Amino acid sequence: MRAPLRVGTYVPFATSGLQSLLQYRSTFLITGVTAAAGAAVTVFLWRAVYAGSPGPGPGGFTPASITTYLVVAQVLAVVHANRVDDEVAAEVYRGDIAVMLVRPVSYPLVRFAACLPVIAANALLVGVPLLVLFSVLVPLTAPTPVDAALFALSTAFSAVIAFCVNLLTGMAGFVTTNTWGVRMVKQGIVAFFAGQMVPLALLPGPLHTLAMVLPFRAMADGPLTLLLGRYEGVGGASTVLGHQLGWTVGLVLLCAVLWRGAAGRLEVLGG
Amino acid sequence: MIVAEGLTKDFRIAERRPGLLGSLSTLLTREYRTVRAVDGISFRLRAGSKTAYIGANGAGKSTTIKMLTGIMTPSSGRCLVDGVEPYRQRRENARSIGVVFGQRSQLWWDLSVPDSFQILRRIYGIPDTVYERNLALYRELLDIGALGTTPVRQLSLGQRMRAEIAASLLHDPKVVFWDEPTIGLDMVLKEAVRTLVNRANAELGTTVLLTSHDLSDISAICDDALVVDGGRVVHEGTLHDLLRRADRRSVVFDHRGGRGVEDTVLRIETGLPGAAAGLTSEGRIRVDYPADAFTSRHVLGFLLEHFELADCYAPEPDLETVLRQTYRGGVPSARDGGAV
Repeated sequence: MRAPLRVGTYVPFATSGLQSLLQYRSTFLITGVTAAAGAAVTVFLWRAVYAGSPGPGPGGFTPASITTYLVVAQVLAVVHANRVDDEVAAEVYRGDIAVMLVRPVSYPLVRFAACLPVIAANALLVGVPLLVLFSVLVPLTAPTPVDAALFALSTAFSAVIAFCVNLLTGMAGFVTTNTWGVRMVKQGIVAFFAGQMVPLALLPGPLHTLAMVLPFRAMADGPLTLLLGRYEGVGGASTVLGHQLGWTVGLVLLCAVLWRGAAGRLEVLGG
Repeated sequence: MIVAEGLTKDFRIAERRPGLLGSLSTLLTREYRTVRAVDGISFRLRAGSKTAYIGANGAGKSTTIKMLTGIMTPSSGRCLVDGVEPYRQRRENARSIGVVFGQRSQLWWDLSVPDSFQILRRIYGIPDTVYERNLALYRELLDIGALGTTPVRQLSLGQRMRAEIAASLLHDPKVVFWDEPTIGLDMVLKEAVRTLVNRANAELGTTVLLTSHDLSDISAICDDALVVDGGRVVHEGTLHDLLRRADRRSVVFDHRGGRGVEDTVLRIETGLPGAAAGLTSEGRIRVDYPADAFTSRHVLGFLLEHFELADCYAPEPDLETVLRQTYRGGVPSARDGGAV
C-alpha cells in the first residue's frame, strides 16, 4: 500500500537545495581554507617521514603516492561533508521534521536529493581547487585510465555511504536531544578509520584488520586504493568494490529500518 | 471523513529537579513520568464539515492534529482520515491533506514564496489548471503577488502566514488541518482567509478542522465544534448547540420612568431569584439569569409587567462565556456569564 516512488517528486528538493546553497557563498571559501590547511599539515608531515627513505617507504608508498593519498583523502572528506547530519539533527531538535512529514514524500529520500547539490558544489568549488593547488605545490601520482574509472565508481559508492553515515548520525537526535557530541565523535571516527589522517596500510595489525572491515574504509581508503593501483588484478579491485557495495546495501537497509522505527515513535512536543 | 476511536497519546517526560544540584543528579539517575496528552477521545467528522477543535491550552489539540496528520503514532486507539490510517500510510494520507502549523513554517526558508509554490507544485503533481486557478485566487484574496521574490526568512509574520495558508490549499486537499492559522494577521487578512476557506469548502467540499484561540475565527469559519477538556471530548455537535449549552442567558433593556437604577436592580433581583442585574456601559440594564430557572419568555414577561420598556433584546450567549463554563466542567459560578 505504499505510494509508488517517483524520482521527479524529489527533483525540486535538489534544485531548492542548490538555490539555498548559493545564498551562502562564503561557506565554500571557509571550507576550502580549512580543508587546505588540514591537508597541508598531514601532507607535509608525511612527506617528512618519507623524505629519508629511498624507494618505496612504509606501506609501499612513494613520496608522490602518499602525497596523492592524503590530498585526495582530504578532497573526499570535503565531498562527503554533505551536511545531512547537521540538517537532520537540527530538524529533529527544532521539531521542523513535523513539516516534512506532512508531505507525500520519503524523508530520507528528500535528504538524499537535497544533499546532491551540496556534494556537487563541494566537489567543484572546493575539491577541484584544492587538488589543483596541491598539484602545483607538490608532485602527485597520475592514475592510469582504468584506475581513474574504478576510482570514479568507487567514489560514487563512497558518497552514498557517507550519506548513510551522516543520516544515521543525524537520527541520533531521536534518542539524544543534543547531537553535537555525537557528530564530533562521528567526525573523529570517520577521519581515522577512513584513512584521512593515517593511511590504513600503516596501521598496526589488529587495528588494520578492524579498519578493513568497518564501512568507513569505503569513504577514502577504498577509492584511493583503486586510484593508486594498490591492488592485485581484477580480484583485488573487486574486493575493494565488493566491500563498498556490501556496506552501501547494508547501510541503506539499516537507514530504512531505523528510520521506520524512529518515525513510529517520534514525539514532536510543543506547537 | 475523519474518525477517531479511543485515540490516546502518552508522552514519557524526563523529570528534572530544580537547581544546579538537581541538574547534576539527573546525570546519574533519571526518573520518567508519563503524561497523557490525549485520553481515549472518539469523534467522527463528516466530509465537507467545518469543525472547530476547541480546548484550553494543553488540552491535547496539537497532539491530536499530529496524529491525524500522520506525524505521531497513537499510544492506543486509532484514527482514520478519508479511510486511511495516517501514521501507517503517511505518504498516502499526506496527498489528501493540507496543513498549517501556526508555529512552524512549511515554506523553504531561503527561497521566495513563488519558488516554494513551484516546489509544492512538483511534489503534489498539481495540474496546471488547478495551480493557475488557485494562484489567481490567492493573488486576489491574499495579495500573494506583493510578497515578490523576498526569501521567506525575511518576511514578516503576517506575510509568511498568508503564504502558509495559501500553501496548505494549493493542491486542493480533501481535508485541511489548521493549527492556529491566523496568528499575525490583521482584520482584513483574517477576513480574506475566512473567505478563502469558506470558498474551498463550498466549491470543492473541503473538510476543515481548525484550532484557534481567536473565537471570532471559529464563529466565522466553523459550523461544528469539538470541545476537548482534560484530554476528553466534552462536546461534539454544531456550534449552535454548543452555544445553547450556556447556563446563563441575558436580557438587555432600556426603560423609561423615573425609577432609579438601584431600585430597578433590587426589584429584578427580588422578583427573579437567582438573576443578577446591572448597568451596562451604554446605560442600559442587563439581566443575567440562570437558564435552568427561567425561560427568556418568563423574564421578558416579568420585565414588561413591572417596567416601561423602551427597547429590549436578548443577546445570543457568546462562545467565550460558554467555553469558560465548559472548561470549568460546567459548574456555574455566581458572577460569570456577565458582561464580556
